[in-house]
Formats: sequence, C-alpha cells, structure tokens
Amino acid sequence: MKLELGYIQINDIQFSKECKVEANTLYVDPDAVKAFMYEDDDVKAWVKDFSFDVAKPGESVRITPVKDVIEPRVKVEGPGGMFPGVISKVDTVGSGKTHVLRGMAVVTAGKIVGFQEGIIDMTGPGADYTPFSKLNNFVVVAEPAEGYQDHKHEYEHAVRIAGLRAAVFIGELGRNVTPDESEEFETLGIKEGIEEYPDLPRVAYVHMLQSQGLLHDTYVYGVDAKRTLTTIINPTETMDGAIISGNCVSACDKNTTYHHQNNPVVKAMFAAHGKTLNYVCNIITNENVYLADKQRSSDWTAKLCRLLDLDGAIVSQEGFGNPDTDLIMNTKKIELQGVKTTIITDEYAGQDGKSQSLADADPLADAVVTGGNANEVIILPKLDKVIGTLDYVDVIAGGHAGSLRPDGTIEAELQVITGATNEMGFNRLSAR
Amino acid sequence: MGTIGNPRDYLILTNNPLVPACMEGKGLYTIDFRPELSYREILTLVRDKVYLGHTLYTHPLAGSVKPNETPYKSVIVSMVPHQFDSQQAEIIANAIAVFDKFKPIGWELNERILRDFQLIDYTLLAGAIGFDAAAGLSKKI
Amino acid sequence: MSYKVVHYINQFFANIGGEEMAHVAPELRDGIVGPGLAFNQAWKGEAEIAKTIVCGDSYFAEHEADAKSQILEWVKAEKPDFFLAGPAFNAGRYGYACATICAAVQDELGIPVLTGMYEENPGADLKNKILIVATANSAAGMRKAAPAMAKLALKIMKGEKLGASCEEGYMPNGIRKNFFEKKVGAERAVDMLVAKLNGKPFTTEYPMPSFDRVAPNPAVKDLSHATIALCTSGGIVPKGNPDHIESSSASHYGEYCIAGVQELTSEGYETAHGGYDPVYANADPNRVLPVDVMRDFEREGKIGKLHDYFYTTVGNGTSVANAKSFAAEYAQKLLQAGVHAVIMTST
Repeated sequence: MKLELGYIQINDIQFSKECKVEANTLYVDPDAVKAFMYEDDDVKAWVKDFSFDVAKPGESVRITPVKDVIEPRVKVEGPGGMFPGVISKVDTVGSGKTHVLRGMAVVTAGKIVGFQEGIIDMTGPGADYTPFSKLNNFVVVAEPAEGYQDHKHEYEHAVRIAGLRAAVFIGELGRNVTPDESEEFETLGIKEGIEEYPDLPRVAYVHMLQSQGLLHDTYVYGVDAKRTLTTIINPTETMDGAIISGNCVSACDKNTTYHHQNNPVVKAMFAAHGKTLNYVCNIITNENVYLADKQRSSDWTAKLCRLLDLDGAIVSQEGFGNPDTDLIMNTKKIELQGVKTTIITDEYAGQDGKSQSLADADPLADAVVTGGNANEVIILPKLDKVIGTLDYVDVIAGGHAGSLRPDGTIEAELQVITGATNEMGFNRLSAR
Repeated sequence: MGTIGNPRDYLILTNNPLVPACMEGKGLYTIDFRPELSYREILTLVRDKVYLGHTLYTHPLAGSVKPNETPYKSVIVSMVPHQFDSQQAEIIANAIAVFDKFKPIGWELNERILRDFQLIDYTLLAGAIGFDAAAGLSKKI
Repeated sequence: MSYKVVHYINQFFANIGGEEMAHVAPELRDGIVGPGLAFNQAWKGEAEIAKTIVCGDSYFAEHEADAKSQILEWVKAEKPDFFLAGPAFNAGRYGYACATICAAVQDELGIPVLTGMYEENPGADLKNKILIVATANSAAGMRKAAPAMAKLALKIMKGEKLGASCEEGYMPNGIRKNFFEKKVGAERAVDMLVAKLNGKPFTTEYPMPSFDRVAPNPAVKDLSHATIALCTSGGIVPKGNPDHIESSSASHYGEYCIAGVQELTSEGYETAHGGYDPVYANADPNRVLPVDVMRDFEREGKIGKLHDYFYTTVGNGTSVANAKSFAAEYAQKLLQAGVHAVIMTST
C-alpha cells in the first residue's frame, strides 16, 4: 500500500468571508465552519454554540482546557476519505494521495467535565513542552447545550465529531492547492518485503490504544477500540485518520488525533525502512479495564509478532497507571517469543523524582525510552490572553488548590500540558 | 469487551454512590457499597481479598484520572476465593504504591465535579463488564 | 572570595607509596596535594582546596570508626563550603573510603560532597546517597575526570539547579530529572531497537527496578512434622544488643538460641532497628518475631517444632549485597540443622 502526502505549509490563519488557502495562508470563515459542524445531528443536539479564535506561535496566549488537536487533511486520490467510519464512509484508506495542511491544527476546547484538562501555551516555558505551540491553531471552543450534565457521553461525542468536521472542512480547502513538498510512504506485502530486504531485521510497531470508557476511548474506523481484538493495520492508514482520539484525560500522555495522524514512530520507522530495518506493519492493541481483556490482548499481540516472523518491535503506550500493566504484559510476551522490543513510556516518579516511575516492571523490558517525569513541577507565567477558560486550572490533573496564583502564574505538574510527555515519542523530552 | 466471566462471581467493591444507584438489582453481580471508605481504603480492601485468594477482575487503576484527584474507586473481585495469584497481588500492591506517590491536592471538590468523577468511575466499571452505562443512568434519572 | 574546599585522597595519590604504605593513618595537610592541582586549575580561583586529608586505604578499612571520627573532626574545624574525595577510579578500598567519608561528611556535618570513581567500584554502591561522578577505570582517566568533577562541584557550591545525571556526569542516583534530548523519543526508540537487534550496546533511559526474584520452593506437605525457623529483618535481639547490630546499614546478623523460650518478653528482648518507632516492638517483641504464636502451634501440633535458633538483622538501609550474604550464610546453617521452612518477618 502506497500513500503520497503532499504538504501545504500554512504560515498564517486569517478570518475572512472567503474560504481558501493561498500563499501559505489559510483564509477561513468561522460561520461557514460552524454551519458545516452543525450539519451533524449530534452536534446540533448537544452543542449550544461555538466560538472561534486563532493562536499563533510566540503569541502570549494560553489555550485551556484542550480536548483534541487535529490536523486538516484531504484525500485527493485513492479510495476513501478522511476519518473513515466516522466522518467519511468506512472504505479502506491509506493509498493514493492526501494533502496535508502542515503547520496548523484545529484545537477543540471547552468544558466537558468539571476537571477538564490540558493547557497549550503559545509562548514561555510551557511552550517548550507542547508540540502544539509551534503550530498556527484554529481554536474551536464549544459550549454545551442545556442538560448536557446528564449526557456526558453524548456531549463528548458531539465535540469530538465537531472537531473532526472542522478539520475536514478546512482540509478540503487544500484539495486544489499545489503542495510545497511531497513524500511517499509504502508498505509491502509480507513476501514482497522479505524478497526486497532479505538481510534487514523485520520490525513492527505495536501501537497501544487507550480504551477504557468515557473520556478514555480511541476509535479505529469508527469502532470503539475496547471492543476490538489486537489486529494489523497499514501505517499509511493512520495518516488518513483511521485512528481518532476520544481521550480527554491525562493531557500530557494522551494521544490526540494529531498524534495519530503524525505518529512519530511511523515516521521514524519509515525513515529507517530499507536502511537499518524492514518496517513490516503496525499492530494495534487496546488497554482495557478488565484484566482478562489485558491478558487476551497482550497474548494476541505476541501471537501476531510470532506469526509475522518479526525480529523486533517498538511498543508505545498511552495514558497513566493501568496501561503500564498492558505495556509490561505486551513487552514480556513479545520478548518471550524471541522478538526484541524497545518500549516508549513516560514516568510518574513523584514531584521529587524519587518514586517508582511505572506501576509495573519486568526485567525483559530492558530497552526503554521515556517521555519524562509527568510529576515534575513547572511554573507557567501569566499570559495576556486565555482562549477557553482558566476555571479549571486548579482542578486539572497536576494542579492543586492554589495552582492558579494571585499574580496569574500557574504552579503545577507537567501533566497539565497537552502532549508534554507523549508516549509515542513525539518530543525530545526525556528523564534520567 | 466485557462479556467474559461469570457475573455471579463479581463482587463490586465501591465507594461511588452512582454504582449502586445505576446498577443495583440489574445483574447477577453483588455490590458492596462502602461510602465510608476512601479511595485508598478501597484499594487495601481489594488487596486483602486478593491476598486471601479472591480473583482480581478489573485493574485497580482503571482510567487515567490520577488517584489524588478523584475520591471514587470501584474494583471487581471474585465473590469467593479461588486461588492466590501472585501477579494479581503485585498489581494491587503496585496500585497502592502508585496512590501513595501522588501528593494530596487539597482542593474542595464541588458537587458538579464530584458527579463527574462518579460518572467516570461508574462508566469505566460498567464498560469493563459490558454493563450498559447509558441505560443504567437513564433508569436512575 | 572563593569557595573553600577540603579534599580527601589516599596514600597512593599523595605519593607516599602503594600497597606497602596503605597502613598510614590519616594526616591533615595545608593546600593541595597531588590531584588537587587539577581541581584548583579548573576552578580558576572561584574555589580553592584549603586542606587535603590523606589516609591509607588499609587504615581506613581496618579502623573505619577511628578514621571517620578523626577526619570529621578536621573537616568540622575547617568549615569548608565543599568536601571532595578522590577520584578513586577502579581502586576498590579507595572508592569505598571516598564514598563512606563523603556520606559521613554530608550526613553529620551537612556539607555538600562529591566523589568520583568507576561505575563498578564497590564504593559506587552509595550512588543513591551521595553524588558520584562516573570515571574511567584507571588513573589515566584523571584528565577527563577532574574537570568534570570540578565543574559539577562548582555548580553545587553556587547552589545552581542540578540537571539530569547524563547531562551532569554523575551516576544515576534514583532521582529522575527531566531534560531535552537531541532527538525525539520515537527516533531514539528506533536507534535503540536497531542497536539491540544488532547485538550492539545500548542504554535504556529507564532501568527497570531490579528485583531479585526467587522461585518459591514447593509447599511443605506435612507441617505437623516440620521444623520451622523464625528469621527477621526487624532487628529483634536479646536485651542490650550483645552483638551490636547497627540500627541502620547493618554489617552483620545475629544468631540467638530460643530453646525453651515460650515467648519474647520486654525484659529479655528488644529491637535494634532505627527505622521505625520501636515502642510497640519493645513492649512486645513477639509482634515482630512471633515466638509466642509458634509455641502455640507447636503445642497444638500444627507444626512439628520451632527451631532452637533465630537469625536476625536490621533491614534499615542495609545494602542488598550485605543482606544477601547474611542469608546465604545462615541458610547453610538452617539446612544443616534440618530446618524445613523459614518464616521471615519484616517491618
């Protein structure tokens, strides 16, 4: 399966009555975006109103609470459309050609639950920790309809869909624009791959998906991942939005839809493909609450690794606490199949860095990459403008009573920052 | 996936009032509602059961909500002891260690936030055993 | 004004002699001796070694308590801003002395300390307690070690925030610190995996806590004829602690006869442990070492016999290596005595 990504660099976003991409600038009419979002019945039912804003790199702006981050893309050649099974029909994606509006993102924000999390600072020390401070962000703030308190599932779904629809609307504007740059990604069939690269180690990416329930879900072609068995997916499918995030908890180490679209492991594996390794495929596996599910899913992961005759696998994690158990189960079982692993995780080593970092451990997990200690304390300065609301800053993961100090600065753990300790290895942050 | 296991053997240990409110009498499981217990006390109760040979059915750290944020915890163990499982004993012991490394937050949770935490805990539990969370809620309301 | 430093070195680096002179007692000299020069040069006047303490490695090992108290006295009188020891490279007793004296100065005088040695030097066992810079395994590494140690020492003297171990050059000390790598995590993961696949060395960014797992023996089939021994790391000893088991970092264990003892009384036994509130253990030592319950079991026929001896030490900060060697030794004694099973209590 072969996919060409055509990158259209977006250096600026302007509100305008005319919607277009021209000279690396996105011109967009918020009312048109709004109308497109409201075409969905669930959005209509549960979102009272949307407001819009733009946050650019370096501006004194804080976006919070952040729900999801999505990159606008559009399928210009080949089967299927963006976010199959959710926005587009369920056709298999990942081949043909896709245009990417690079350098920007749609950010959804607004309250869902009383402890809604996630901060993106566009400048200052906080900006160093979130990859989204480097993007031009089209921010959509949702306001819930009356009665949403008793329908959190429905409301979360509506905001999730609204964000994806906004990204689809904007992505569509890049359909007829000539990309600044293109890149091709190809995954060969099993036999073809062996013939093409007989001497290279066969390596897969074991991609763990958060799948526990309300605010902790991931969807694959529209299927709730907690109801799936471990399976195989082409890396390029993920570039066309086959996996989307419904995860609103643990801002620092949840994978946003943007992370899934721009999966850094996929990128690094393709970069090494044909040189130091033969990148076979992605294996997606869930992180359920029920222990027997964890056992079954990790058994299945190891089974697939063996069946694919792999030499190695990279395992990435999502979320805090119990996924450590999935991570260790996967790693241990894969290693016991004779397949070598490297794993990516993050740490909760306490504010002083002295506690045990993971909730589970095994000596077979001897090659670990860490995204850093999420408990480390950071002071965020007061910024000029807030998109969303600061109401939640005291009550977000990593905050504490008095996190929002009288002078407007915020003292909190790194956990508060969206994407700060990403467990796909999106960032340079690490710990020793 | 949540369709495995024998619901008659499910003992739900919980301090979350939404669990009995939505789930009482709607399945073969048993709910042991302990509103007087803290999050940590629920974990130690689970630990003691696991040490006695009860099977741990759900992961004690379900969800990414940090243990120092929410006061609610629901865990399913078996009604009766089966066989001691050292791996499960390790999981519950590690969960308590994780709880202890988070600093107390010191904020007053208002009614709205408490309800949200109850909801999350309840839906994670329901999802684990294939209980229709939305149906449970609508009957309650 | 520059920071004042006291430097500790051994007889070899003081040019007194090698192994044949390792017996020399500690000596206090003014200014720098031997490797001190390299530190003073690196500090460029911002810090300076005021005194150098020289001690023979054998002397330190054989008269640790005396050496320690003499050195602490000198350091206390000097009131330095910083205490530096070594570097010891691969010299085992020198490394042990450097680490031990650093820990003492840090704990008892509250003065910041630093030493340096090869990672496999036994002194490096204290790396979670004191800062130790990793050096090469021979004195040829001095040219690299001294500037690295000097830089880190100055940073500490100035009260600057310490970075992650790999940035600053100290051995990982169990305190996790964030920092920015050159590559993103996914690229690091691919590099690490490729190295692992090719059998090349790689360094994990998070070493798994090492548990020395012991597979349990099959269950004792018939307890009613079994001899059971009690062992503890809870520090229960006969009153007065006749073998002077240390209240922390124990260097030995005790073996005591309890033949005919029906229960442990507060008159006869106490705890030597310094890591928990001893009130309840001293009031009723059976709480830690349950001789009373074992005697009940004996009478009821649940067990065959309580072994006549118990083995005890203090688990408070005692190194794993020490604990392991104690157990290896008394396990042999238990085997010879025909003991079938052991109940090991902790606190």
